[in-house]
Amino acid sequence: CFSLKISWLTYCFSGLACSEVFTRIVPEMQMLSQGEIVVNEANFVRKCISAESCQDDLWGKLVCTNFKVSFITHNSLPRQRFQCTHRLLGEHDIPLACVEQVVTVNDVKGKQKILGSNQKLKFNPTELILYCKDFRIIRFRFDEAGPESAKKVCLAIAHYSHPADPQLLFGFEYVGKRYHGSTGERMNGIDPGGGMQTTLFDCSSDWDREIKRTGASEWRVCTINQGYFISPSLPEFFVVPVSLADQDLKQYACFFYSQRIPLWCWNHSSGSALVRMSNISDPQQQRKVEQRISSAITKSHPLRSDVFKSDLDKNLPNIQDIQAALLKLRQICVIDPFEESEEKWLSSLESSRWMEYVRTFLRHAVEVVYMLESRNVPVILLEKEDRDLSCVISCLVQLMCDPHCRSLHGFQGLIQKEWVMAGHRFLDRCNHLKKNDKEESPVFLLFLDCVWQLWNQYPAAFEFTEVYLTVLGDSMWVPIFSTFLFNCPRQRAENSRFGVCKMFECFLKSLMFTKAWDWSQQFSLKDQTLFNNPLYVGKIATCVQNGTVKTFTHRRSKKNYSSTLRGLPSALRNGSLGPNDTLARRNSLVLRLRSDLSQVREQQETPSERFIRDFFSRPVDLQGLLLPQLLPSHLSVWKLYFLRWVPEAQIPQGGPITAFHKLSVLTDEIDMLQNQLRQYKGAGGTPNNLHAEHSKMYFKATSTPHQPPAPPEYLSSSFPFSPVGNLCRPGILGSPLSKFLNGAKIWLSTETLANETI
Amino acid sequence: MEKSGSVDSVESLCSSTTTRSDRSSGTRVSDTELRSKGRAIEKVYKDTSKGELPLLPEELVQDSAKDVTYICPFIGPVRGSLTVTNYRLFFRCTDREPVFGLDLPLGVLSRVEKIGAATSRGDVSYGLACKDMRNLRFVHKEPEDSLKKSVFEVLMKFAFPVSNNMSLFAFEYKQVFPENGWRVYDPLAEYKRQGLPKESWRISKVNDRYELCDSYPAALVVPVTITDEELRRVSSFRAKGRIPVLSWIHPESQAAVVRASQPMVGQNGRRCKEDEKLLQAIMDANAQSHKMFIFDARPSVNAAANKMKGGGYESEDAYQNAELVFLDIHNIHVMRESLRKLKEVVYPNIEDSHWLSNLESTHWLEHIKLILAGSLRIADKVESGKTSVVVHCSDGWDRTPQLTSLALIMLDSHYRTIRGFQILLEKEWLSFGHRFQQRVGHGDKNHTDADRSPIFLQFIDCVWQMTRQFPAAFEFNEYFLLTILDHLYSCLFGTFLCNSEQQRLKEEVPKHTVSLWSFVNSQLEEFVNPLYVHYASHVLFPTVGIRHLQLWVTYYIRWNPRMRPQEPVHQRYKELLAKRAELQKRVEELQREAANRTASSTSERAGSPTRSITPVQTFV
Repeated sequence: CFSLKISWLTYCFSGLACSEVFTRIVPEMQMLSQGEIVVNEANFVRKCISAESCQDDLWGKLVCTNFKVSFITHNSLPRQRFQCTHRLLGEHDIPLACVEQVVTVNDVKGKQKILGSNQKLKFNPTELILYCKDFRIIRFRFDEAGPESAKKVCLAIAHYSHPADPQLLFGFEYVGKRYHGSTGERMNGIDPGGGMQTTLFDCSSDWDREIKRTGASEWRVCTINQGYFISPSLPEFFVVPVSLADQDLKQYACFFYSQRIPLWCWNHSSGSALVRMSNISDPQQQRKVEQRISSAITKSHPLRSDVFKSDLDKNLPNIQDIQAALLKLRQICVIDPFEESEEKWLSSLESSRWMEYVRTFLRHAVEVVYMLESRNVPVILLEKEDRDLSCVISCLVQLMCDPHCRSLHGFQGLIQKEWVMAGHRFLDRCNHLKKNDKEESPVFLLFLDCVWQLWNQYPAAFEFTEVYLTVLGDSMWVPIFSTFLFNCPRQRAENSRFGVCKMFECFLKSLMFTKAWDWSQQFSLKDQTLFNNPLYVGKIATCVQNGTVKTFTHRRSKKNYSSTLRGLPSALRNGSLGPNDTLARRNSLVLRLRSDLSQVREQQETPSERFIRDFFSRPVDLQGLLLPQLLPSHLSVWKLYFLRWVPEAQIPQGGPITAFHKLSVLTDEIDMLQNQLRQYKGAGGTPNNLHAEHSKMYFKATSTPHQPPAPPEYLSSSFPFSPVGNLCRPGILGSPLSKFLNGAKIWLSTETLANETI
Repeated sequence: MEKSGSVDSVESLCSSTTTRSDRSSGTRVSDTELRSKGRAIEKVYKDTSKGELPLLPEELVQDSAKDVTYICPFIGPVRGSLTVTNYRLFFRCTDREPVFGLDLPLGVLSRVEKIGAATSRGDVSYGLACKDMRNLRFVHKEPEDSLKKSVFEVLMKFAFPVSNNMSLFAFEYKQVFPENGWRVYDPLAEYKRQGLPKESWRISKVNDRYELCDSYPAALVVPVTITDEELRRVSSFRAKGRIPVLSWIHPESQAAVVRASQPMVGQNGRRCKEDEKLLQAIMDANAQSHKMFIFDARPSVNAAANKMKGGGYESEDAYQNAELVFLDIHNIHVMRESLRKLKEVVYPNIEDSHWLSNLESTHWLEHIKLILAGSLRIADKVESGKTSVVVHCSDGWDRTPQLTSLALIMLDSHYRTIRGFQILLEKEWLSFGHRFQQRVGHGDKNHTDADRSPIFLQFIDCVWQMTRQFPAAFEFNEYFLLTILDHLYSCLFGTFLCNSEQQRLKEEVPKHTVSLWSFVNSQLEEFVNPLYVHYASHVLFPTVGIRHLQLWVTYYIRWNPRMRPQEPVHQRYKELLAKRAELQKRVEELQREAANRTASSTSERAGSPTRSITPVQTFV
C-alpha cells in the first residue's frame, strides 16, 4: 500500500504535527501512531452512512491495526463532519478498546455471529457491525470486497479487540516506542509541561499541599505503603489522623478489606474530615478497630465531634445495577429505532433507571454535605471495597463544597485523588480485556453524568464545558493513558517498566505512561479551547491576578456579582419566590412558632431537607457551596453524551452550543480589551494582534463587534461531534403511518409525498 | 436561632405572590421604582392597620377578614388576614414575622367553592382552583353575625364579574404608559413588510363591516383574480364563513401560508366552484410550484366524523392539484383533559419515583410534539418545497392559529423579535378570532364550560420549546412568555379580552382598556434575551422528538417551593456585558491619553491622532 508507506515515512520523520496536516489535506492517507502496526486490511469496503439508503456510503479500505479499526477513504463525508480533529484517531477510526461487540452478518444466508478472540467464522461476512462503548454503531459492507480478506479483517478486529492480557493493550506499545524512538518526547508533539498543573497525588508533597490547602492540620501523610508492602490497592502515600502512629496503622491494616487503611479525602472548612473506608473483614475485630479509627478521626476534629458513618452499599445501587441501567439506556438511545421509541421514551427512560441512579448518587452526596456543612461532623464513607461508590460520592461532595474542584485542574486533581490513586478498578470496570463482564460497570460515566447535572444547573460555576466532560468520558477508550488503564497505583507502577526508580525520577517520568490530563496527546491547542467555559466566574478572579486591571476588575466583578444575587431571576423568580424573600431574610426576626404549625413542619421535613430548602432560599454563591436541585423534573438527560450520534435527535444550527458561541465571543472580546489595557499600561505602545493566538475561546471575537457573528452553519446540538456515519442501526423503517404520526424530521430529507397521505 | 432562621426561608419560599409585572405596572413604570418595589411593600407591611396594599389605580378594597387560615400544601396552615379588591386577592399572614403573602389577580380563579359543611368548631373551608396550575385552600371561622357576608362571597362576586353583570377590572384600570400598545399591529403595514406582490394578491375590503365573517379581521388578503362576490360565495361554503385568506408569503419563492376553516362538504360531498377556484388561484399565485398542500390539523377520523355535521375536508377530486395531509392534533377537549392530568401530576407535589411515566401519562408533551411536528411540516413545505399551503382545522380558530403562528415563527425571523411576536399574536390569534373569552372564560364562573381549553397556553409552550432549542434565535426571554401567560388570565389588560376583532371594537376595548404591549414595550429591557443574535434569513427547523421536548418547569412547577429557577446564563451574560463596557471605557480613556501624548510631543495636525489604534465600540 503506497499511501500507507508514504504516511508512515513522513510520520517517522516529522512526527505528529505533520501527520495532522496530512489528515487535513489528504484524508485518505493513513495515520499511524508510534508502535502501531497494521495487522490486516481489506479493500473495496463500503462504510454505511445512513440507515435509509446507501447512496451516501463511502468506499475505502478497512484496516485493523493493533490500536484501532481504521477506514481509509478517498471520499469525503457528504454532510457535516467532526469539528475537532483527534490527533491519534482519524474521522472514521475506532480504537479497539472502544469496540464493545464485533458482529458479522451474512445477509444472503441469514447468518449472524458475534465474534470474540481466536474464533472461526464459517461463513463469508457481507457485513460487519461494530458496537462501540461510546454508543456508536458502525457498519461496513463487503459486497465488493474479496470474501477471504473480508473474513480475515473481521477476525483480526475481533481478535485484537480482545487482548489476552494488559501488556497487549496498545498503551504498552505506544509507551515503549515513545521511549525507544530517538526523538523522544517532542516527536509526539507533546508539550512537556502539559497536564503538569494537575496534581497527581503520587508523591507525599502533593498530599502535604492538599492538607495545607484544606487546613487539615490534624492530619499527616503516611508513607508505610511505600513499595506497596502493606496494601496492594492503596497508593504509596495517603493521609491519616496525626493521632494514629504508623505502628497502629500497620496493625489495623490486616483487618480491612485488601488491607485498605481508611483514607482521608478532604477537609471541610469547618474542620470536618471526609474519610473513606473499606469493610472490616474480621467481625470480631470490627467494633474495636472501627472505634479506634473513629476516635482518631474525632481527635482530629476541632470540636472533637463524633464521626458519622455513611453506608454506601446499603443506600446506593451496586455496580451491576449501574451496568444494567446503562445497557438499557443505550438500548433506548441508540439501538431501538428512533420513531418507535419516541412514544414510550419517557417511561422507557424511567425504567432504565439511569436517571434515578444519577439522582440517588447526587442525593446521597447532598446528605453527606449536610453532615459536614450543617452538622459539622466528620464523615466516613463505608463501602465494602472502597473502590467504586465512594469514589463517586467523595468527588461529588468535594465538587459541591469546594470551588477549587470546579476549576479544570482542580477537577482533574480530584479524579486523580479519588479515582486513580484510591484504586478504582478502571481496567476491570472498563473491561478492557473483555474477560469478565460481571466486573464491567460504568461507574465513572455515572459520575460524569452527576457532574454534568451539577454543571447544567450551575453552568457558571465550572471552568470546563460539557464537551470536556464528554471527551473525558471518551478518553477511557483510548488505551494509552495510565489514568484509565489500571486497577490501582501498584499495577500502574509495575506496568510502567521503569516506574519506581527513584534515582532517575525526572528523567524516567517521561518514560511512564502519559496521563489523560495531557490533552495535547489527543487534541490541538485550538481544539482544547473547547474545554474552556466562557461563563466561568472563577475566571474573573484569575483576571484580577493579571496585574494592571487589578483593582478595577476586582471591584467591578464584586459589584456585578452581588447584583447577580439580588437582581437574580427577576424574570424567573416570578411567582416561585415571594418578592420579599430577600427582605424577609434581611430582617429575619426570631419567630415564635405555634406548636401545631411546627408539628406539621416536622412531619414533612427532615433536618437535611430543611438544610436543602434553606440553601435554596438564599442567593447562590457560585464560589461557595452548591447543591443540586433534586426534583426529578430538574434532572435531564445528558444529551451531548448519549444522543450525539443520533441523527434524528440533532438540532441543526441549534442547541446550547449556539448560546455558547455567543458567550465565547463576548468573553473573547473582554480578553482582548484586557490585553489592550495591559499593553497600554506596559509597553505604552499600540496594541497589536497577538491576541488571536492566545485566545482561550474556541469562538473568537471579530473585528466588527457591532454585528455579532451569526453562529456558523455547521453548529448543531451534537457539536463538536457528528452523527454522520456513526450510528447505523439495523435499518427497520417505520411504516408510512407510524412515520406520519411520529415526529417530522424524516420528511425533511425524504419527500415521499405519496406515502404521506392516508 | 438556627431554627427560626430556617423556618423563615421556608415561608418565604412558599409565599406565592402574583407576578412581578402586576406589581410594577400597578404603581409606576420607572426603573428605580421597579427595583425598590420590594422595599415599598415592606413598608406597607410594617403598618398594622389595613388598607395599605400596593393598590393599582382604580383598585378598591372590597372586603377583608382577619383570622383566616391558608392551608399551604407545602408548609401547612398559615394564619393571617385576607383582603379582596376588585382586582386581586391578598393574603397576609399575621401570626408571624417576617411577612408571608399571597397576592393574585382574581382573574386567575376558575372556581371558588365551599368545601364541606361548617365543622363543629364553626370553621368554613373554601377551595380556590386557579387557571395557573395551583389550588388554594382557606379556612375561616363562621362569622358570628350570620347576616354578615363571608369574605368569600364578596370574593366570588368580584372573581366572576361577567357572571354578575359587572365589568372586568381591565375596564377600570387607567394606567398611562409611554407607549400605546394598541398601535403595535397595523395589518396594512404588516402585509407591506411581508412584501405582498400586488400583481397576485390584493387586500380586500369585503369584510370591512364584518359582514362576510364576524370572526375574521376587516382586512383580508386574497388572490387578485378572485372577486369579492366570489368570496361571498366561498364564505357560505366554509365553516363560520372563514374563507381561505393569506397569512404570510415567502419573500423569495412567494409560497403562501393560507388559513381557513373546514369546507362544508357534508355527507353528500358538496362542492363549491368558487372555493375550488380560490384554491387554484392561491396555487397559481406561486409560480414555483404546481402543487399545493392542504394541512388539516385534525386526525383523519375526526375530520371524517365532521361530515356528519355538514363539515369535512377537501376531496382530491374537487381540488386536483392539492394534496391533503392530516396532522393528527386533537381537539380542545382532549387538550383540556391533558392539562388537567398534568396539574394532578405537578401540583402540589411531584412524585419522585414515577415522575417520567406520570408525565408521559398526561400526554401533554405528546400533544406539544404533534403541534410542533405539524408546524414543522408546514414550514418545510413552504421553505424547502416552495409550495403554498392551506391550513385549517374545524373552525380554524384553535389548531389553525397554533400551526400557522408556529410555522411563521420558524419561517420569519421577524416574529422572533419582541415586537414581531406581538404582531404575530395580534394578527394570527387576536384579529383572526381565537376565542379568548370562551377558551379562558374571563370573569365567568362557569368553570365546567366545555369551551374552555388551554390552546393558547399550548402555543406559548411550543414557543418556549423552540427557545430552548435555539437559545440565540429569539429576542425575548422566558419572562416575556411568562408575563404573557400571566396576563392572559389577569384581566388587567384588554389585549386578551373578547372573542374577535369585531367584538373588541364593539366593546371599544382599545379605547377603554390598556394593552399588554403598552406595559411590555415601556420596559423592554426586562424582556430581552441577551443571547439573541439576529440573523435575517434564518429558518428554524426544530427537532420535535420527545427527547428534545421538556416540561416547562418554570411555568408548570413554579409554585413548588422545592422549585428554584436554575442559575440563569443570562444573568452571567449581563455581567460580562457590563464588564466589557467598563473595559471599553478604560481602553478609550487610555487611547485618548496616548493620543494627547503623541499630539503634544509630535505637534502634528490635530486631525488623526488615533489612527493606529483599533477603534473600540461601545454597545451594551
